[in-house]
Amino acid sequence: MRYVILALLGMGLFIPNAHARPVSYPGGWTFMFMNDGDANSAHIHYSPTADMSVGYKFENWRDKEFTLNALQVNNLLKRWNKKHSQANLYLKSGIGIAHSDRDDFDSETSPAGFTGIATDWENRRFFVSYENRYTEAGKIDDFFKQSARVGWAPYEGDYGDLHTWMMLQVDHSPESDDNFTVTPLVRFFKDVHLLEAGMNNNGEVLFNYVLRY
Amino acid sequence: MKKLILILTVLVLSFSVPAYAAPDDGLALKSGDAKVAVNGLVCDFCARALEKVFGKQEEVNAINVDLDTKIISVSFNEGQNLDDDTITNLITDSGYNVESIDRVE
Repeated sequence: MRYVILALLGMGLFIPNAHARPVSYPGGWTFMFMNDGDANSAHIHYSPTADMSVGYKFENWRDKEFTLNALQVNNLLKRWNKKHSQANLYLKSGIGIAHSDRDDFDSETSPAGFTGIATDWENRRFFVSYENRYTEAGKIDDFFKQSARVGWAPYEGDYGDLHTWMMLQVDHSPESDDNFTVTPLVRFFKDVHLLEAGMNNNGEVLFNYVLRY
Repeated sequence: MKKLILILTVLVLSFSVPAYAAPDDGLALKSGDAKVAVNGLVCDFCARALEKVFGKQEEVNAINVDLDTKIISVSFNEGQNLDDDTITNLITDSGYNVESIDRVE
């Protein structure tokens, strides 16, 4: 329940003020804070061009019991611009240091890296995305995770309006005991702010906030 | 869980009514200004990207992005202009495609 309260408090702080595309426009900065049943993360990146971003990534994998500090590079491999829709294919990779001093580990530090693809398609009413990632953290852990989303916007807002999306996310972690989770969520998007809140079938809260300017 | 669903439902209903619509800030275009049809404009981030990129051009007075028509209107400063190739490059470098460029007579 305390997570629910924290999430609602956070929404109160950020609204009224949402697509967490990993690459922005030339010269754009993006701040992404993601929280779900597996991890808390922060990602700050700068896009020198419209097809690449570079930045810092921090992740705290709670059940896997390690943290990760990494340099992350995102590449827009292909974009399909249509009259009423857009689709993207990204490569997202990072390299850094994983650290754990919890339970099974005694101040274990290991080089770490991850890579994966992300793809999405959207128009102003519908949204579909898929992404995967393989993470290698030396002696600490290695794992694969993938997720997919579908979304629907109940109305088409004009530029500058508050945009609302209803979304459903499915996560698959093959090595976990509970390897499929389903998360209904809402996305609010206004100006430079994107906020998402939801709860999965295990009662774990998803709360994401993205600031882009 | 039921309380959370109820709260989220109220929130969605509260924010789903587009009553907070921003005023239409369509530009009064003059001769030589450009109306550009752009492919790939699906969200505010796209619109903001083009605003930022065109806003850095000293020749540009103002820009308006219409997500419904997918047309961006570019108003230039008096006596200044950008040619079609430059406009196309700015939009392509931003990650979008130009379908057509029309000039105001």
